[in-house]
Amino acid sequence: MIVAEQKPLDEIKSLVSDLGMADPLHGKVLVLGCGTCVTVCFAGGEKEVGILASSLRMATGLDGKEVEFLEATVQRQCEYEYNEAIAELLPQVDAVVSIACGIGVQTMNEQFPETLTIPGLNTTFLGQPTEQGVWEERCQACGNCVLGTTGGICPIARCAKSLLNGPCGGSQNGVCEVDSDTPCAWQLIYDRMTALGKPELLYELNDMKDWRTSCDGGARKIVREDLQLSVGVAAGEES
Amino acid sequence: MNYVKGLLDEIGLGGERLEMFFLSSAEGMRWAEIATEMAQRIKEMGPNPLGDGHGD
Repeated sequence: MIVAEQKPLDEIKSLVSDLGMADPLHGKVLVLGCGTCVTVCFAGGEKEVGILASSLRMATGLDGKEVEFLEATVQRQCEYEYNEAIAELLPQVDAVVSIACGIGVQTMNEQFPETLTIPGLNTTFLGQPTEQGVWEERCQACGNCVLGTTGGICPIARCAKSLLNGPCGGSQNGVCEVDSDTPCAWQLIYDRMTALGKPELLYELNDMKDWRTSCDGGARKIVREDLQLSVGVAAGEES
Repeated sequence: MNYVKGLLDEIGLGGERLEMFFLSSAEGMRWAEIATEMAQRIKEMGPNPLGDGHGD
């Protein structure tokens, strides 16, 4: 899942005053959450919308401003059809503080270009809740998954150097030299492949990884013609 | 509790305005001590700068 955390309150307050409000002392702002990834990482769901809106009301009140904060949460902020539910609120607000991931913020700005949507979260990584209250990165969306050859452990995301051929000299006692809390990914891979009874597979030569599918080189796109309503219809357009 | 105290600090109201104590209904003396302590603390901190009727 996408994991994000809320920006510091001061930063959100500054973004609202500097970017969102035409009148520095009065305004109306919508705090908009998302019911999917950011809900389950407790950063941008309905409850977090309530807490942030209350905090902003009090904080802007202390600064001597009169800003009204509306609250709403949509099911998925990355999809036009779900954002339609709050479209009627937008003409009355100066700006939106979105506590969805960066995709939701961009979708809002694209779908409703006449209203500025400001990010309230820092979107951090794709990861897993390893225990209650802890999320760890597991995938970097490289576009060319090698998990089949590494026993299900990702060397791109979990090795600090994204090495593909085994551990570096900094791997000591199964721990990465970068951080003593980080296990060496290649130690984990070796241990897993041994447990699976296939350590010899690690000695096989694999094809060079094709990095063209990773994020370097610009925004990626997938087109599934079998799923398109009609070829050439963009999101939100009538076909 | 610590989370809300942290939020109150971030907002600028002060986390010391909020406190949690555990006691039973039989501990009248302790209750009086706590009430006095909190009243004193709030007097030193001053009134809620947002005043009454802020809507929250």
